Parts: sequence; C-alpha cells; structure tokens
Amino acid sequence: METVALTIDGKSVTVEKGKTVLQAAIESGIKVPYYCYHPGLGIDGSCRVCLVKIEKMPKLQVSCSVVAAEGMVVQTETPEVVQARAGVFEFLLINHPLDCPVCDKGGECPLQDFSYAFGPKGSRMEFARRVFDGEGVRADVDFGPTLMLNRNRCILCTRCVRFMRDVDGDAQIGIADRGYGSEIATFKEEGVHSLLSGNLMDVCPVGAITTREYRFKSRPWDNPTAVDTICTLCEKGCNTTVWLKAKPEWAKGAQLARITPRYNPEVNGYWMCDIGRFRLAWIESEARLSQPLVREGNDAQTATTWDHALDTLKRLVGAHGSEHLRFLLSAHASHEEMFALSRLARQLLGDRAQQSCTVSWAASVKSQPEHTTFSVPPIDAPNVAGARLLGLTSVPVGEAEPDLSALRAAVEAGEVRVLYVLDPGPSGSLGDTAWIVDARQSGRIASLVLQGVLESPLAAAADVVLPGACFVEKEACYTNGQGRLQATARAIPPPGQALDDCSIIVRVAAALGRPLDYRSAADIRADIAATRSDEPGLQGIADMAFAQPVATHHWLEASNPMERWKWDVMFQDLPPVKFEEMLKK
Amino acid sequence: MDPVLTKHIGEPNAQTLDFSLQHGAYAGLRKALGMAPDEIIDWVKKSGLRGRGGAGFPTGMKWGFVPKDSPKAKYLCVNADESEPGTFKDHVLMERNPHLFFEGCVIACRAIRAKVCYIYIRGEFYHLQRVLETELARAYEAGFVGANILGSGEHVDIYIHRGAGAYEAGEETALIESLEGKRAQPRLKPPFPAVVGLYGCPTVVNNVETLCNVPLIFDRGWEWYAGIGPDKNTGPKLYCVSGHVNRPGVYEADMSVTLRQLIYDYAGGIPGGRQLKAVIPGGSSTNVLPADKIDVAASFDGLVQAGSMLGSAGIIVMDETTSMVWVAKNLLHFYEHESCGKCTPCREGTDWLYKILSKVERGEGELRDLGLLFSVADNIGGKTLCPFGDAVVPPVASTLQHFREDYETHVRVGRPPLPPWRAQEELIGAH
Repeated sequence: METVALTIDGKSVTVEKGKTVLQAAIESGIKVPYYCYHPGLGIDGSCRVCLVKIEKMPKLQVSCSVVAAEGMVVQTETPEVVQARAGVFEFLLINHPLDCPVCDKGGECPLQDFSYAFGPKGSRMEFARRVFDGEGVRADVDFGPTLMLNRNRCILCTRCVRFMRDVDGDAQIGIADRGYGSEIATFKEEGVHSLLSGNLMDVCPVGAITTREYRFKSRPWDNPTAVDTICTLCEKGCNTTVWLKAKPEWAKGAQLARITPRYNPEVNGYWMCDIGRFRLAWIESEARLSQPLVREGNDAQTATTWDHALDTLKRLVGAHGSEHLRFLLSAHASHEEMFALSRLARQLLGDRAQQSCTVSWAASVKSQPEHTTFSVPPIDAPNVAGARLLGLTSVPVGEAEPDLSALRAAVEAGEVRVLYVLDPGPSGSLGDTAWIVDARQSGRIASLVLQGVLESPLAAAADVVLPGACFVEKEACYTNGQGRLQATARAIPPPGQALDDCSIIVRVAAALGRPLDYRSAADIRADIAATRSDEPGLQGIADMAFAQPVATHHWLEASNPMERWKWDVMFQDLPPVKFEEMLKK
Repeated sequence: MDPVLTKHIGEPNAQTLDFSLQHGAYAGLRKALGMAPDEIIDWVKKSGLRGRGGAGFPTGMKWGFVPKDSPKAKYLCVNADESEPGTFKDHVLMERNPHLFFEGCVIACRAIRAKVCYIYIRGEFYHLQRVLETELARAYEAGFVGANILGSGEHVDIYIHRGAGAYEAGEETALIESLEGKRAQPRLKPPFPAVVGLYGCPTVVNNVETLCNVPLIFDRGWEWYAGIGPDKNTGPKLYCVSGHVNRPGVYEADMSVTLRQLIYDYAGGIPGGRQLKAVIPGGSSTNVLPADKIDVAASFDGLVQAGSMLGSAGIIVMDETTSMVWVAKNLLHFYEHESCGKCTPCREGTDWLYKILSKVERGEGELRDLGLLFSVADNIGGKTLCPFGDAVVPPVASTLQHFREDYETHVRVGRPPLPPWRAQEELIGAH
C-alpha cells in the first residue's frame, strides 16, 4: 500500500495514498466535523463545516475534498479556522428548529454534537425561522411507509439524495426549489418506497429523516447496552448491532430497542435492508413460545414442565418406533443445532439418518431497482449454505426453493409416524406448513413435535412444543450466501422457560436414551471442527468469538472516534430516580 | 479606437450571413483552418486575450489545459448565460453579430480538438435563440459549420441550448451540470472542467465576448491584437453602462479608457446635473467605488488596483439620490433569490443578509446590525463551494466600507440620507 505522510495539528499522520485530509484526520482521531461526507456515499463538498487551513493555500479548504499529499501541513485549530467553522455552524442552526427534546435523533445527533463542540456560543439570528410544513412535530410528514420527514430540521447535506441515487439505485429523493427554499422532496410527495429506506435514517445527520418503527420509542441514553451480532433474516448475513433499552422489570414494552447495520466491507458495507431492521417486534412479542406444551389425546395443549414434555416426547417416539421418526429443520437452525440434530438422527436411525433429515426455508423475490448496489437475496434464511456444508440438503447453489418432495412423499405414504420440526426462525420461515398441519389432523402423521419460538398453526397442531431461542438469544454460527462463517451473539435471554436450542437437542437425546456428550454449544462446535476438518467453509468454527453486550459508549468509541467526546462529556450518569420516595410526597 | 466587435451592430440586417460576409466574416477562420491546433493556441496566448466572463483568465492558457492525447471527446461550452446584474454585452453580440461568434466557436473547437460546441444561452433569451438558430442554419448551409468546414476536413457541430433561467447556471461547472440535464449546481473543483467536464470529458467553457475576440486575432494577426490597449489588458472590450446616465448602453473601447470617460464621455454623464455618488464597475459582484475613484483605467488590472474588479464590465452608475443601503438590499434580494442552495454559507447567509438589510432599510435597524452585516458577509466569503459566495460579499462589505454614513442615517433617522441639495431644502422647510 502506497502511503503519504502529512502533518495535522503538529501530529504526523500516515495514510493510504488517495485519501483525503478529512479521512486522514478521522483515522488519526483528530476532530474535524463533517455532514455531507459519508464514507459510504463519497464527497459532496456542500456542508462546508470541515474547513481547515492548509499551508501554501490562500483560502481555507474543505478537508473532505483535498487529497492528502506528502508533506502537507494542515491546521484544524487556528483562530482563523475556528472562527470560520463557527460561522458555518451558526448558519446551520439559524433555521434549525432546535426541537431536540422531541426529536428522535436527540442525543445521538451529529448536528447537536458538532455544534456543541465547534459552533459559536450563541446565535445572532433574530428573525423567524424558516418553516416548511408547520411548526413543531406537526412539521413531521409521511415519507413513505417506513419513514417520517421533518424538513425544518434538514440541513440539506444531500446524503439521502445520494444514498437513493448511488446505493438504492432509484433516485426517488431530490431537492425541490432552490436556494433558501430548497427542500428535500419526493415526486408528488409519494415518499420513499424502498427496501433500503431505513438506511436513510442512519445517514441523515440530523433528525430530518426518522423511522416510524423507532419513533418516540427510546432515547439514546435509554439504550445503554449494545451487542454486535448478525442478521439472520436472509442469507446475506448483514452485520448488525442490537441496541438494548434499560428498563425496570415492571415497565411495559420491549427491551430490544432497534437494530442498526454495522460496517463490514465484505458483507454489507454500511447498510442493511428494512426487513432485518424493522422486523423485530416478533422477538419479544406475546406470540413467543415461553413454556413447554403437551397435548394428551385430543385435548387442548397444556403448559407443562420440561421433564413432563420430554417424557411425553419419549413416549410418543417409543410408541411408533424410532425408525418412523423424521426431522424437518428450518434453515434458521444454526450449525450447532443442525449438527447436533443430525447426530441424534444418526444415533437413532443409523444409515437412514441422512434421508431422515430435510431442510426447509422460505424464499421471496425482492423487488429492487436494477442498478442497486445492495441487493437482498431471495433466500430468507441464514444457513442454507451451512445445511449444504453439513450435507443436509442437496439443493444446488443458485436454487432459491427448498426441496421437500421426499418428505412429502413419505408423509403421503404414511411412512412418517413422528415428525420432529426444528424452527427457531420468525413466522413463515419454513415456507408452507399447511400440509403438515393437515397431515397431523388427518392422522397421516401420528405425532408432531415442534421445537420453535413462535405460536403458529404448526405449533397449535403439535403434540409436544419445546420453546427455543431466536437469533438474538443465543450464540450460534451460520454460513451466509457467500460461504462466510459468522456468528450471532446473545443479547437478551430467551423468554420464560424457553431454552437455547442446542441444549434442548441434548435434553431430547438424553430423554430418547441416546445421550449426546455435549455440555455446551462450544462442545458441538469442537465436534464439528474435529469431524469436518476437511471442510474449508467450516474452518475456525471451534474458535468462533462471540460478541458480548457492551456499554453503548464503548461501542460508539470503537466504531467512531468522533463519538468519544459526546460520551465523555455530555452523557454523565445521572442519579437514579427514586420512585418510592416520590410516591411518599 | 474604432469599434471592431460592434462596428456594424446598428445597421439593418447586421446579423445576416450576407451582411457579415460583406464585412469580412469568416476570414479569421480561413486562416485558422490552415494552422495546427497548437499554433492556434499559441497565437491566442501571444495576443494576450483574457476571458471576458469575469475572472479575466488568459484564454490561450485555459485552452492549453485540455489534455491533447486524451482519448475522450472534447467539448466547447459557451457561457451565454449572461445574468450578472448590469451586464448586457454578450446579448448584443449574439443578436447583432452572430457570425463573428460562430467563427470564434469553430476556431476554439479546432484549437482544443473538439467536434461539438454547446451554446448555453440564458432562459430569458428566447428572442436570441431564434436569431442564433436562423443564422446557424445559414452558416451550416454555407459550410462554415458542420462537416468538412471550407473543405479543410474540420468537423464542428454547434448546438444551442436554452437554460431555465438560473443565475447560478453561469458558473462554469453549474452550466455543465445544467447542460447534462441536472440541477444547475456547481461541482467540486478539482477536477477542473478542462480535465473532467461535460459528460466527464475535457471541456472548455468560454464567454461569448471572449470567443468573438478570437477571429480578430487570426484575421488581423496577434501582433495587431496585442497592440490594442494597455499591457496585459489587450484587445477591444465591451462596456455596459447603466444606471443614472444619459445614454445607457454598450460601448466598445480599449482598456485604457477610464471609468470617468465611460460615464461622462461615452454615456453622456448623469442626468439632471446631479452628482455621481458611486459606481459598480464590473457587475453586481464587484466592489462599489466611490465617486472620487473613477479616474482609473477600466481594465482587469486597473480596477483591481482601485480595489474592485472589471468582472463582466457591467458599469452601474449611481447618483447622489441613491441610498446605498437600498442598493445593497436590492442586490442581496437578487442573490438570495438566485443562490442555488447547495452549500450552507450561501444558502443560509444570503437570506440572513437580505433580512438584516431589509430591516435596516426600513429604519428598524440598530447600529450593532452593521457589525453583524459585516460579520455574516465575512462568514460567507471564501467559505463557499463556488464563487457565488464571494460575489455576495462586495455589495454588503464595500457599501458599508465606503458609505457607512448611509447606513447610520438609516439606523438613526429611519430613512435614506438625502443629497446635499435636498438636505438644504429640508433645513429651510424646518424653519
């Protein structure tokens, strides 16, 4: 890599050739504010806040658009720079409504942060502020099905315009009018209709674009914990961060505040799709399976203990003989779960184990612009490639639909007496299941066991329901569509009596008299590594590192040095409110 | 000097091809077609021709920046978006001497190895579009434009594109954006248009008057051209004199002419025997000069020395009845309206300045507003993406500098200052 060395504020900085002065400053932890520049959207040069003084150049330069050159001497803190920069910040705020207390961005807003750090002490503006759609929250207008737009807050950095043009591939957002009246707009005020719309909230450096999903739900200081994980809603495997809300036991609502994309140049860049971002309500919903259920005869399902549920399972399998047992796995199952279950199948069925396991998933074609640079794949499951590696499916690469023909034929032929379904994914992740429900009700399947996470017609038809954990509740490995081995992290515990799916499989094996010698998921990974050491796609699975929940400010520090100041200075911990004392008065 | 560019503009049918040919049109082109592109550029360099659009950049040097061996197409864009308040010279040339203009375009294309020339005319110039299109068709027919020009093998196509009426489209990169069908907003420089311009190809953007000067250099020789006017400010120059003068209009002179001569000799002085108060010498984006500074050469270098700029040579003359606060407010109204809104200081600052100036002009201002005006203007100047921001500062800063009394009167009395003779009247009335 060719490098250039330059000096910024007296500090020697070496960066890759071709990088700009702003990038050099960011990389070396020197604070230079910026709005229109975004590493994923390139340089625009329009916000003018990244002004610096460069020796031998008469005017101040915007550091985002000056390529770093050997021997360049840059100053970011001279009185001239400080004053000019404060002048631009004053301009940015003269028409900004400063409604931070009711703005979703408040607390994590670059306009707030940089204005405090670099702006003038006060404003000299004495005229009425510019208003587009009304004052206060009335100014929030619909911006498509997922977003809200507040034009009064907008500073016209055009990141959203460039995101839609360059990343989404469909330039739905533009600027209407010009000059002082410029406003972000969509054609005929139709709003943004895109599978990537949530990223517009991320790139917006102010509270102009906010998401409906997160609206008034939490504040940044209410989300003190963040966990790095991956999204498992399709085979792309976007790297994400899950934000956890601090809330007392009695408070209603979810702990999972939101999911945001995490930069990984190899997988998802800076972005993620709306499916992964907004489809999270199910995780902490009332529809989660939180205790084992069994059905005796034709009665309704009743809640029971794990011991009783496993006894029932043992009795059902014993009644029909394990040779009539079949497994249906969702491709939402992790490597550990697939491997453990297939080993159990081998112990129970010997040579016929291979045919006894079927992997299913859902697929849907996503409607995206032709020239998008971020395409969402059709397979809606995280581990189809993993199932292929483990020899559980023979559906070739490039084929989106699963192959259930053998299982369906066997069920139709009445060969399947007990069907064990493992599905830790959201609703619909097995594709069509009506035929299974139908087969159970008509008696072609004598007993149905479901190890899953959500109430569903399939769960309602099951004789035994074993509540498992979804992807944010367990440490598990998946192989995405590129063949990359990635892991989820445990951000929150599974609900109620629900258990990690690996430990359920181990308990089931023990109950069926074929114990697996695993004490933890790590043992399973070690076993995978030992038995499949020839498989390059599974290399390193035994040493997989799982992210742990960290205080949000650590996450922000690690991800963006510019955030450090905010957490060190602004968000000092406040004493807890003592509700008991408040009630006494 | 005798007019060269505008010699025949007052005669009937001056714009037609027949008339132009009778008066020597396309003679320069014939000579230039016999010269190699580099030789053409060399002649233009030696002539000392400087761009007439505003900045006065040497034209030959600008052409020389176009990479010769680039495999990409090259383009010539003509900036005919003449929108600077007080400027109306290009429109006269296009309306009355279009063949001189086309001749210049073809020579420039040959110099920079371009096959296509786009003439970007201002949105309001509908009548000019009709003239240009009629005459361009005749030039095509006669073989001065198009394929195999005058049998030389040179091929140049000229297209006329009318803008949508944005002042900002006169900035060269915004003009290119607009030509490409986008919003007329400036691009970041570098890369400069000479390297990455229209459709990502090397592009030269020249002013109409600049190109009209080019044929003269070849028709009469660069030595002749370099001999006109003072050193480094060569060639004939058009001046647009407007405002409080008896004969406003376009005047041609060499650049040794002074502002005083232009106002009092060419434009016939100030009506009603009133006194001169101030002059804007180069379009609204240049510093105002007070009445005692008009004995300077109206040249690129002369006006810089006097503390202003030749700019687009739009000379706006203001007599003693003019309130300079009103002038600044009026100009800021223009800039506020025309700011493209791309970068922060210009978008927010022009409006703020306009609001403060309106307040002061209404008589509701305070003395601290004057300091604020200066400070806000200073926060815009030099901090913007394109020169528009720098153009906003002069109307405010130079009027404040030279005519602070006007501002203070507005603040104190709540109305414009009166000329001495009116003030006398008022005094009498008071008794």
